[in-house]
Amino acid sequence: MASERELSDFLKSVEKRAFKRSVYHVRNDEAALDIVQDSMMKLVEHYGHKPIEELPMLFQRILSNCTLDWFRRQKTRNALFSNLSDFESDDIDGDFDLLETLDTTEGSSQTESAEKLTERAQVLHAIEQEIQELPPRQREAFLMRYWEDLDVAETAAAMGCSEGSVKTHCSRAVQALGKALKAKGIRL
Amino acid sequence: MKHSTTHSTPSLQDRYGRAVAARLSESVEALPYDISERLRAAREQALDLRRSLKPATQPQVLSQGAAAALSLGGGDGSLWHRLAGLIPLLLLIAGLVAVSALDDEFVAQDLAEIDTAILADDLPPAAYTDPGFVQFLKSRLESAQ
Repeated sequence: MASERELSDFLKSVEKRAFKRSVYHVRNDEAALDIVQDSMMKLVEHYGHKPIEELPMLFQRILSNCTLDWFRRQKTRNALFSNLSDFESDDIDGDFDLLETLDTTEGSSQTESAEKLTERAQVLHAIEQEIQELPPRQREAFLMRYWEDLDVAETAAAMGCSEGSVKTHCSRAVQALGKALKAKGIRL
Repeated sequence: MKHSTTHSTPSLQDRYGRAVAARLSESVEALPYDISERLRAAREQALDLRRSLKPATQPQVLSQGAAAALSLGGGDGSLWHRLAGLIPLLLLIAGLVAVSALDDEFVAQDLAEIDTAILADDLPPAAYTDPGFVQFLKSRLESAQ
């Protein structure tokens, strides 16, 4: 059973990412705060007795469920699932190479000018926008897999789908992001 | 003209995904103060809930323990735990047997006292006018003969 200190540290370590993840989904700070708070309460209420190692996965799942609940409550489920392209075989066109969008030059200068900082902020804003544009399942898979750093099996368990689906969602999400960011002249 | 990247290697895909995610992490560090504070408040509220739940769960655990003891352990406890669970049951049975034995003894003692009092007492003259007593004397004489 996780001690109060462990639980507090765990929540502290995940709360900001959880908030941003919810914002990417619901596009509303207030709603995202509610979702994160709801998730924390549910975790503590129902799984507070679990060992600390089990909490990250449980929290991811609860957060996903709370986000879905929010959409249900808002009766915008149609909007959420309007883009079901991730279930269709809409192959991304062939004129795009992911490799081109990866900046392989190791570390530009460490010292950043104000101009550089502004540029980074703009890039971040563009990335956030493109992530919000992803279909929900692709976004969910992408964020869990690469941002929360869960492996494929864990992501599949948290999303309640197969590992194959996770791979497909992630692949499509990366392709879509790469293509969109390239179109904006952004290289990572 | 480039060819489709759906065939790009998983490592490249992972690399790109992580590069995007790394940029996203910057946004987490730059959260506005009020959002951070509200997240902290949410966390505190969740921890308060845990504190308030704790006392309620303790009797529940105890009652579960008692139930487990009465149902001979039930769970996955060791042999000693199961035997320890039997102790209250054995004490209860021993107590019931002792109460029953004491009760029998008290009843027998009361009856003996009544019998003694009757036998030691003088027979009242009115007893000889009682037809039932006369009959009793007759039957005793007959049986003695």
